[in-house]
Amino acid sequence: MIRLYLVDDHRLFLAGVRSELEDRAEIVGTATDVDDAIEGIRETAPHVVLIDVHMPGGGGVAVIRAIAETNPDVRFLALSVSDEAEDVIAMIRSGARGYVTKTIAADELAEAIERVHAGDAVFSPRLAGFVLDAFSGGQAIELDHDLDQLTAREREVLRLIARGFAYKQVASRLNLSVKTVESHVSAVLRKLQLSNRHELARWASDRRIV
Amino acid sequence: MEPTGRNELVDRLSLWRRSEPRLLAGVAGGIADRVGVPAVYVRAAFVTLTTVWGIGILLYLLIWWLTLDHQASPFVRELETGQRVGLAVTFVALLWLMVASGFVPDPFATFVTAAISFGIASVLDRSESGGIARLIMPGETQGVSVFRFIAGVVLLMVGLGLFFGTNRVTSSLGSTFIAVALTAIGLMVAFGPWFVRMRDDLGKERLARARQEERAEMAAHLHDSVLQTLALIQRTDDPRRMSSLARTQERELRTWLFGKAPLEEGELLSTALAAAAARVEDERAAAIDLVTVGDARLDSRSSALVAAATEAMVNAVTHSGSDRVSVYLEVDEGRAEVWITDQGNGFDRARVGRDRKGLAESIERRIARQGGTAAISSRPGEGTEVHLVLPGVESVTK
Repeated sequence: MIRLYLVDDHRLFLAGVRSELEDRAEIVGTATDVDDAIEGIRETAPHVVLIDVHMPGGGGVAVIRAIAETNPDVRFLALSVSDEAEDVIAMIRSGARGYVTKTIAADELAEAIERVHAGDAVFSPRLAGFVLDAFSGGQAIELDHDLDQLTAREREVLRLIARGFAYKQVASRLNLSVKTVESHVSAVLRKLQLSNRHELARWASDRRIV
Repeated sequence: MEPTGRNELVDRLSLWRRSEPRLLAGVAGGIADRVGVPAVYVRAAFVTLTTVWGIGILLYLLIWWLTLDHQASPFVRELETGQRVGLAVTFVALLWLMVASGFVPDPFATFVTAAISFGIASVLDRSESGGIARLIMPGETQGVSVFRFIAGVVLLMVGLGLFFGTNRVTSSLGSTFIAVALTAIGLMVAFGPWFVRMRDDLGKERLARARQEERAEMAAHLHDSVLQTLALIQRTDDPRRMSSLARTQERELRTWLFGKAPLEEGELLSTALAAAAARVEDERAAAIDLVTVGDARLDSRSSALVAAATEAMVNAVTHSGSDRVSVYLEVDEGRAEVWITDQGNGFDRARVGRDRKGLAESIERRIARQGGTAAISSRPGEGTEVHLVLPGVESVTK
């Protein structure tokens, strides 16, 4: 069973997620602020942390960065109501392996957690849209670097995700295996985390993480 | 980009410019906070040094360049009286040294300026009186120290006396001008501090009022929208209606909190599509996930695209049996594409009655009239997908 840790400053939401996921994962702890979360995660060493973007005391980014130093194996899935591209990209760039919105259904959330646990990336339609947007406008100058552009295949995969298809459906539409789709998405995640594209850099610097 | 050398120096010095109160850029204020003396003396020192080849101005600009942005000073030091006296002696000694070494072009002008500027400074200085003043006036706790005031006036008189006592100055200036200048200085010394305080109070009051208005607006908004919705939800038994109310409220609140200001010239395709999706959500109690990439200006042609997409959304929520519809808009190089996807029942096109005008009229022909295309693919049991393409739209980059 996946050892899961929940971090959210809204207790009501925390309780809701807890009851939804209780029989699908072992919830080893919860926290409602940054400091408690860092301490709790270090103590319980969970597999996956479900983490809110906005929290008093530095937000999810602060937790991810602190844990990355001591427990690099812990994987993070960002869960938020925020529609702001900056917030979402900041979470991903500090190390989260995916982003889903809080309106996600319980089954999909459970599946996303498993996926993150397996080391894959989880893209909600919204995140796929952000990435396509950030990597669009191909006329940018520094496009010679591999990390700064998406391959045609990756673009297709993201487009289908943005259109609301699950990985399995994306795979069957493109005549690929689910594993291949996963590896495309993971590659995009890696680009998102490492790219120096100036749009991303600007987003990030607005949030003071570079 | 600024050179790194400067950044390092700035870090090492860690000097700030003071944001409030300040006269020019806040340089003197920043130094004053750092050293621990009232800013008026620092200003006087700058003025005095300006008479020596303009060093004061150069120094001011240099420090301006080397300091970090305006900020409420991170800490404010208070110097002991002894330290203050030491600082004053050091400054005088420095001036003396410069005069002695022949560096000062006009020692007379420098000393007159020093006397006048520091005289004004000590009269204006409203900080708490130090130890010496207390020795002279034991009862005094705040306001202008009498000792400092007397010293300031004496300095001023000496300075002004020297200034006007020499013929070479007076003869070159008209006596009318001198009279006007003297009156202005007198008024400034007498009413300046009072005027500054008035202005500060006014500013604070205005800020407080603005905050209050903001809070009132927030409260009004929350009452009109969130509280009303919560009340409605409590009185509803139908779970579909409940979640529809919650979703509408969430969307409204989100627009209010994170909403982007609309473009000045006209509306955007993405916002029009979002509004259309919101209307369908409200009317049909379904969830529509909208994702947009790129954007275009809304004109009569792209409005037709929105209308066709709306029809497709309504069809999806009405006939698919699924309560979730995904809508994806992509605008790239003047070409707008919209996909409306549901994971519902799907249908067989051949078996849809000829009288059903929805698909043919509202979607396909509407798009065709604008030079676009509509493709509808569906199979029973596998959901439906409507793909609309409209070339020749006016792309908008953010």
